[in-house]
Parts: sequence; C-alpha cells; structure tokens
Amino acid sequence: MQKEYDVIIIGGGITGAATLRDCALRGLSSLLIERGDICDGASGRNHGLLHSGARYAVTDREGAEECIRENRILRRIASNCVEPTDGLFISLPEDGLDYQANFIAKCREAGIDAQAIDPAEALRMEPAINPAIIGAVKVPDAAVDPFRLVDAHILDAQRHGAEILKFTAVASLVKEDGRVVGVKTSKGDVLRAKEVVLAAGIWTADIAAAAGVRIGMMPSKGALVIYGHRVANMVINRCRKPANADILVPGDVVSVLGTTSDKVPMDACDDMHATPAEVDLLMREGEKLVPSLARTRIIRAYAGVRPLVVADPAGDGRNVSRGIVLLDHEERDGVPGLITITGGKLTTARLMAEMATDLICRKLGSTAVCETANRPLPGSEGRKPGFKDPFNKRAAIGRHGTEIGKMDFEKGGEILCECENVTRAEIEYAVKNFGVRNISDLRRHTRIGMGTCQGSFCIRKVARVLAEYVEASADELVYEYRQERWKGMTPVLWGDTLREAEYMHKVDGNEI
Amino acid sequence: MAMKFDVVIIGGGWAGCSAAAQLCDSGLKVAIVSEGLSLSVSGSATPYARLAELQRRGVTVLRGDRAVGALIEDGRVKSVHTRNLGDDALQADRFVLATGKFFSRGLLSDKEHIWEPVFGADVEYDPDRSKWYDPDFNKPQPFMKYGVKTSPDGFVLAGGAVVGNLLAVGEIVAEGYPQSDLGKL
Repeated sequence: MQKEYDVIIIGGGITGAATLRDCALRGLSSLLIERGDICDGASGRNHGLLHSGARYAVTDREGAEECIRENRILRRIASNCVEPTDGLFISLPEDGLDYQANFIAKCREAGIDAQAIDPAEALRMEPAINPAIIGAVKVPDAAVDPFRLVDAHILDAQRHGAEILKFTAVASLVKEDGRVVGVKTSKGDVLRAKEVVLAAGIWTADIAAAAGVRIGMMPSKGALVIYGHRVANMVINRCRKPANADILVPGDVVSVLGTTSDKVPMDACDDMHATPAEVDLLMREGEKLVPSLARTRIIRAYAGVRPLVVADPAGDGRNVSRGIVLLDHEERDGVPGLITITGGKLTTARLMAEMATDLICRKLGSTAVCETANRPLPGSEGRKPGFKDPFNKRAAIGRHGTEIGKMDFEKGGEILCECENVTRAEIEYAVKNFGVRNISDLRRHTRIGMGTCQGSFCIRKVARVLAEYVEASADELVYEYRQERWKGMTPVLWGDTLREAEYMHKVDGNEI
Repeated sequence: MAMKFDVVIIGGGWAGCSAAAQLCDSGLKVAIVSEGLSLSVSGSATPYARLAELQRRGVTVLRGDRAVGALIEDGRVKSVHTRNLGDDALQADRFVLATGKFFSRGLLSDKEHIWEPVFGADVEYDPDRSKWYDPDFNKPQPFMKYGVKTSPDGFVLAGGAVVGNLLAVGEIVAEGYPQSDLGKL
C-alpha cells in the first residue's frame, strides 16, 4: 500500500512553509512540494518588510489589525529573522498634513502605536530623510529576512516529522471520483494525501485550473531596487495614499526601495525582472524619501508578482483582494480534498497557515490546536552574536542563531565570502539541511554573494568548494550565478555598476 | 608650476605603458599618468613593475594620479590638469589618451549618457540605455564596444572636430574606429 500523507502542500514560499510547520506541530503527516528552491517566487522578491499594519490602516482596517498582531508574534518567535528598526511615515510639503491626522487616528483604532513626531526630532532619529519634511509618524515597522524566515519554518517542520520535496514540479492534481487524492509530479510519481493545499502564489490558478477549479487571479508586478549600502536606520514610508516607490527598507547591510504595482500577463510571471523604465521611476520617487539615494550605488533591481485574487472571476480586476483568501474547494466547487490559501502578505503568513490548518484539521477530524504563535522558530531561541564570539562565527550566528551548533568550524572555519563572512562550515550546513543545486540556491540560505561585491571577488572560490558537494562543475556554477546576477544588474547598468560589469566580464565572461 | 614634456600619456595600463616604452625609446621626453585601476594587466604587481621599468628608462611616472581635465585651444590640447597637481600641471606637444573603459574611469556614465571626462571626446554609444547590454551574460556585450571616436589618422574627435595633437590607443577607442599610429609621433 502506497504511503498516504495527511496533507500535501504545493509551494515553497512563506505561505507553504508556514502551513507545513503548523501541520507538523499538530501531528499531521505532511509533505511540501516545490518546483524550484524555497522563496523562488514572491517570497524571495519583496521588500523584506515586517508591516506594522500602518500602511493599511486607512484603507483596510482588518488587514492592519492582522499585521500588527502578526508583527508582535514574529518579533517573538522569529527574533533571529527580524530587525526591530521601527518605521517613519514622513509627510513632504506636497503631501500636506491632512492625510497624517486621519492616518494616526486609523492606526490607533487598529491597535498600532503611531506617534506623531516633530520634524526636527524625526531628523535627529533618522538623519537620512528628506529635510523638507513637514511631519513624521513613528510606527512599529521592522525589517525581516524572508529567506531566513522560510528556512526556519521548513527546519522546524522537518524536525517535527514533515517532509520536503524541492526541485520537483507538480504536473497535475490526481482526482478519483471527483475528489483530489494527491499529486502527480513532473517525474511521473503519484503522491497521495487526504488533503492537498495550494499555496503556490500566482501559480495557484494554473494548477487549480488543470483540476477543473477556477480561481480568478491577477498578477501584479512589483519592481524593487537594492542600494549597495544601508542609508537609513529605520523603515521610511511616505505618509500619503499608498503609491509607487514610497517605502525604503533597510535589509542587513543594504537598502531596498520599492515598489511598483502593474498588472502583467500570467505568462510573464516565470521570468520576472525589473526594466530600466521601472528603475527610473523608483529612483525619482525614492530620492524624495531619502535624498542621498541619488548618490548611492545601486547593486541590482528585481521584481516579484503579488498573487491578487479577483473576487469575481469574470470581472476586470476592479474587485481585487489583497487580504487573506482561504478557499474550501469542497464547499465552493464541489471538489473535496483541495484547499487554497493565498493572497495575504509576508507579515501575515503565519496567520494564513493557521487558518488553512484549522480547516484541514476540521476536514480530518483532528482537534489539535495551533501552537505556532507560541513556539520560537529554530535559530530564534535567543542566541545573538557578540564580540566574545570568534570573528568568523559572528555573521553566521546572526543569520542562524542557535543553529550555529550544527556547523563544523573546526574544519570549515575559513571565510569564503568576505562581504557577508560566509565560511565553508556554513556552506556545508546549508547543503546538508536545505538542499542546494547551485550558488543561487546557496545565496538564499547563507547570503553568499549578496553583499556589496555581489560575488565579484569570491565566486570562483565558492564555486570550487560547492562543486565538491553538488553535481556541477565550478565553471557551470559560476556561469549560472553570473547569469542570475546579470538579470538584476542590467536594469541599473550605469555608473559604478557599469564599471563592475566590465570587471565581471573580463574575469568571467566567456566572450572576452 | 607646469612641467613640460614632448608627450604626456594618460593611463598606465597595457596600452599606455606600451606607448610610453615605444616613445621613450625614440628619444622623446615622456610622462605617464597612472591611477592604478588597470584591468588590462593582471593584478597589481605586474603593472607596477612595468611602470618602474619605464621610470628607469627616463619616463616621468605620476603614480596614483588621475587626469581630471584639459585646456584645449584652437583644436589642440595645451595642458592637462591632474587631481594631485592641479590646473595646467602637464604641458606637452602631444597627448595620448589610453585610459581604458569604464572600470578604469576612461569612460563615465549616468542613466542617460556616456562621456569621456578628461578631454570631452566624442563617445560612440547607443542613446537608449536598454541597448547597452545583452541579457545573456555570455554574449558579446555592446557596452564593451563603446569608446571615443577617432579620425582616420587616429586623432581624437571632440565636438565633431579633430583634436590635432591628441591620439588614442587601447580600449578607450570605440570598436570600428582607428587606433593611433604612434610611429607618426
């Protein structure tokens, strides 16, 4: 008799990973299947912003309340992934102060601690902001590392018995007598489960459609730019109706500016990249938030797709939800065995998982209660790097917290990536715990090559080490990585980035 | 106070050093300005050794300095300003532009333009930034072909006119434009 899981989850973003963890903690036998590596979709292509909810307070009270609740929970259970920077909503002369008054009132109604700050005081707190500001509001926004957050969820799930199958696409859902009973993989294997959960972001619609279930989704592209330095201490937002390029988020050593919001065709979702025109727009607006961005080197630009759900599939996109969407396809479409969890935000993924897992438990007759809000994630049990830690361990402790105990610094203490201080020991840990095919995968789990040099100096060393563990030659690994980085560099290819491009081409380009 | 030479070479990479060697062997009084950002010779030790050898052969080597501007009158370069020595630092009968491409700052760029910063030479490039690159990293990249325009004799063009005593050699010259024949000096 073939193994039957309680739950199979499709999609290795934050929603799928959080659902896998919740299911595992409630004792359900669970498998997550992902066609690429974790965070290949929107979960790896966003701001890395842990919303306080303030951005939604005026337009979406429910979403704002969800955000502030989850914000507080993640600071607790994922302390290792969250940097509690706080955020400012600044008003520029052209914005006026009318929006601000209503904004503060709505934040407080939603339970968000929003405090008006005198412009002079705001400039002392955050000297990087535009000195022309006429008002500022401090809110509990924070920075979150989405890669680290997803890894921590997957690790915890695995340590509670869950399984993960990466680099394996779902070819189709398997139906018997109208019920979804499992999935068929692109390799031809059939995997069976009592419930199948679609958590594949924008790709959910296609998988569901193949099983005769219609979910109206509208891909909304968001482009972002990464600056090569951290120019601000806090998250900087514009205090006005949400618009393009009005959030700057500090992310470890860099700064991320975004975003745009444009409807794109479904077939564009597999090859998302920012365009030169989007970069120009982002820079124009971003420099109003933080003027020094005009003089800061840009590392790269990228883009992701928000999986917005259209309430009326026949509609034209006007009735679109950015909120959490949980679909019970047994109720909705007469297709038992299938559940969709989508919409929502990085910040609210844990709540989405709780809602989905509650439904799964009802279907399976389980009375297990959700514990994900109370248990710290692996790595987040309180270990922070200090000056007593050896230099080559500090960055790894910052990234992996208590997981440092699983890395062999006796043999692998040599630092390979100088920008992010990644050692052989951390690479071995990532290969063993997360499964890695190439340097782009390794980057998601270690930050290798994500620093200011973007791998220009270290990537050959890293490739030689990684080639010992994976089925690819060092040259193939370098090429894959360069091509991936090139995609992000080309929209910002001028000034110092163009200088860097010439260097890269002379060192690694095959044509030169 | 200005220093006077027969030839001043801007750029201490492969092209500039080769030009300096050739010209000093023919008995000319030569100076070379090297910022030390060359990519045409591997590492730091080799280019430094080449400059030391030129110095032994009588070339004046301005290490770690960068040409930042020039005085041009009646279609001829009169002098070059450097970051360390200031205005009118280097005077000569002839000047050789050998500053390479982007990494060595022979060419500067912003979102819309690419320019040559010392002499304001005319630069061959596509005004549409999205044409500067090929999306495939391993394909020939258009930006690697960009550079200054030269006359059939290898003299640099600025504002569409020939600068009569300014020659260009090496990677600063746009693909398809003639390199200067230093023998003519």
